[in-house]
Amino acid sequence: MGRKVIEAADLSFTYAESSEGIRDVSFEIYEGELILLTGDSGCGKSTLLKCLNGLIPEINEGELTGKLFIHGKDYSGLKMHELNSDIGSVFQNPRSQFFTDNTTAELVFPMENYGYSKAEMDEHLEKLTEEFSLQGLLDRSIFTLSSGERQMVALASSLTMDQKILLFDEPSANLDYGNAMKLGRLIGRMKKEGITVIVSDHRFYYLNGIIDRVFFMNEGTLNVYDSEEEFKCSGYNARSFDLFSLDITFKEKTGSAETAANMSGVSYKDILKDINLELRKGETTVIVGPNGAGKTTLAKILCKSIKPDKGSIKMDTIPFFIMQDPDYQLFGTSVHNELTIVKKDEEKIKGYLERFNLYKYRHTHPFDLSGGQKQRLQISMAMLCDKDVIIFDEPTSGLDVSSMLRVSGEINELGSGSSVVVISHDYEFIRHVADRIVYISDGRVQNDFRLNSETLPLLNDIFIRMQEEVK
Amino acid sequence: MKNFKLNPIVLIVINILAPSLYIFIKGSYLQPYLAVFCGVMLLLVGYYKRFGLYILGFAVLYGVYFACLVVPNLKFIAMFFLVFTQTFPCFMLASILISRYSSAELLSALEDMHLPRVLVVAATITLKYIPTFGREFGYIKESMRLRGIAFTLKKPISSFRYFVAPQLFRCAALAEEVTAAGMVKGIDAPAKRSSYYEQKFRFTDTLILTVFIVGVAGVGIWAGK
Repeated sequence: MGRKVIEAADLSFTYAESSEGIRDVSFEIYEGELILLTGDSGCGKSTLLKCLNGLIPEINEGELTGKLFIHGKDYSGLKMHELNSDIGSVFQNPRSQFFTDNTTAELVFPMENYGYSKAEMDEHLEKLTEEFSLQGLLDRSIFTLSSGERQMVALASSLTMDQKILLFDEPSANLDYGNAMKLGRLIGRMKKEGITVIVSDHRFYYLNGIIDRVFFMNEGTLNVYDSEEEFKCSGYNARSFDLFSLDITFKEKTGSAETAANMSGVSYKDILKDINLELRKGETTVIVGPNGAGKTTLAKILCKSIKPDKGSIKMDTIPFFIMQDPDYQLFGTSVHNELTIVKKDEEKIKGYLERFNLYKYRHTHPFDLSGGQKQRLQISMAMLCDKDVIIFDEPTSGLDVSSMLRVSGEINELGSGSSVVVISHDYEFIRHVADRIVYISDGRVQNDFRLNSETLPLLNDIFIRMQEEVK
Repeated sequence: MKNFKLNPIVLIVINILAPSLYIFIKGSYLQPYLAVFCGVMLLLVGYYKRFGLYILGFAVLYGVYFACLVVPNLKFIAMFFLVFTQTFPCFMLASILISRYSSAELLSALEDMHLPRVLVVAATITLKYIPTFGREFGYIKESMRLRGIAFTLKKPISSFRYFVAPQLFRCAALAEEVTAAGMVKGIDAPAKRSSYYEQKFRFTDTLILTVFIVGVAGVGIWAGK
């Protein structure tokens, strides 16, 4: 066992504005260890990570007690810049990850802050470029990168100061299967190089076989499993370690014959080529494919946000689009008001509020709801709107297993009135909701089939191929 | 002249000086000078289309100003348009700053001006916030369209509310995220910040700044006569 790098003694934190936080957390982390930090949403994982990189108490207000040490030094005596030259942080949200909008500027940004010379910066930049194969990614706008590429730049930029401790906050949330597996390999390599890695995530298949210990959080308290095996036997829903062995029953419902939308010969720039797709009511179609394959563009074309260069779309209404970040989509002054904006049907509104456990929050402002409640509100809105097509963009990114199961239940209840289109990377979730799989790669529909026990190998094949394509 | 690269310090200095000059020099003299100077700057950096819009904007603003002067009950609004017309060139110069330089370049420029650290950090976070806010604005507009509550002049007040409320709620969260991004990358380090995009103060930079100052002095003397 290596040197002790981080130690926590009775660490507790309560946020000023909510009762959430962590309680009496004590642990030791050794050099070169890979720690998986997991637990249900709201369990305190993010709070613990923020304590480790100093954002608590620097930015978040609240009450912090107990002690935290890095290399034997007390955190309270360290400034942010001292701490963060030892610890690198990779956030899930690109808004908190990137300070500049250019990849090269982002990579040199920490070095500039610490006053490196131009020559030193060039030398470091070259090393990072080599190590993370960033050759084609330098001097580009952050917003033109795919999620996988963005993750690489984020990772490289958090190691510019030669940090030996690395924190990840839900790194797999926006990655496709192939890129997540690639991240797993990179983390394995860093571990071998002696870097201490702490990964906070709900999904951990990409770390299978390389985890040293599991920190399991539950309602703010910590339980440590001393090995991956011990965690697998713990009874927590840890089965998603091996995705393809999951035993999930197939849906029996079949879509009606009624067409909700029909795309024929749709092409857009060089992103989509000759897409033919008929969406039927009562059917849940999951669109899968690697990052950058054109899935989001397809959704945008369906929503008439962009016009295809060629081809036509037959559809009576604009689809109801449920974005990943609900904050962009809520405009009402209360939960009830939000639903009346969709449709003034008091009886139905009351019904949905009760069905989705939102009735007691009907006077609450939508922004004061929790993430899960916001998503339930969005789903109620979708059910109320009478649109022919409802599109979900990565609805389970960042959700724990039980929330994922809840969302799949809700989507399955959407009924036969509309056609549901889901864009997702989440294998387990796909198995729960999909009637039909549409695989898009290189801008074309490569495969389109109903999901059942016979076609399951086709789906598994797609995921394996996605992994092989990302080397 | 798309390749004409100006040191951002020149634009920052002019933009700080220009509005405050109205305290010392009569507006009727200073305004045309600033208007012409800013027009030339737009042409110098190769923003021909924006130059056209600039001329058009000026014509419209002046038109409204004079129209308001003529109508007896609207005189008080005329004042507002006058102030807007006077600051219009500064907005144009600021637009060059934001569209031409990355936040990293602006940060280095501010650092070179030997401003206090706290001010530089605050200014940088604000500069980074503007484009982020702009993108969010786009998402919300698109989302309103999909919800069927797009901005409409028939219902200006409720449209405006839909538009503004989510933005305000996002502000607090955004400010925290942006600050976090800077903090974990050593933005508070006490070392003298270096710059990867170091820009020398060139002859052309000095020339433009000199022309501006000499021009202002000339206008001041002329106005004082």
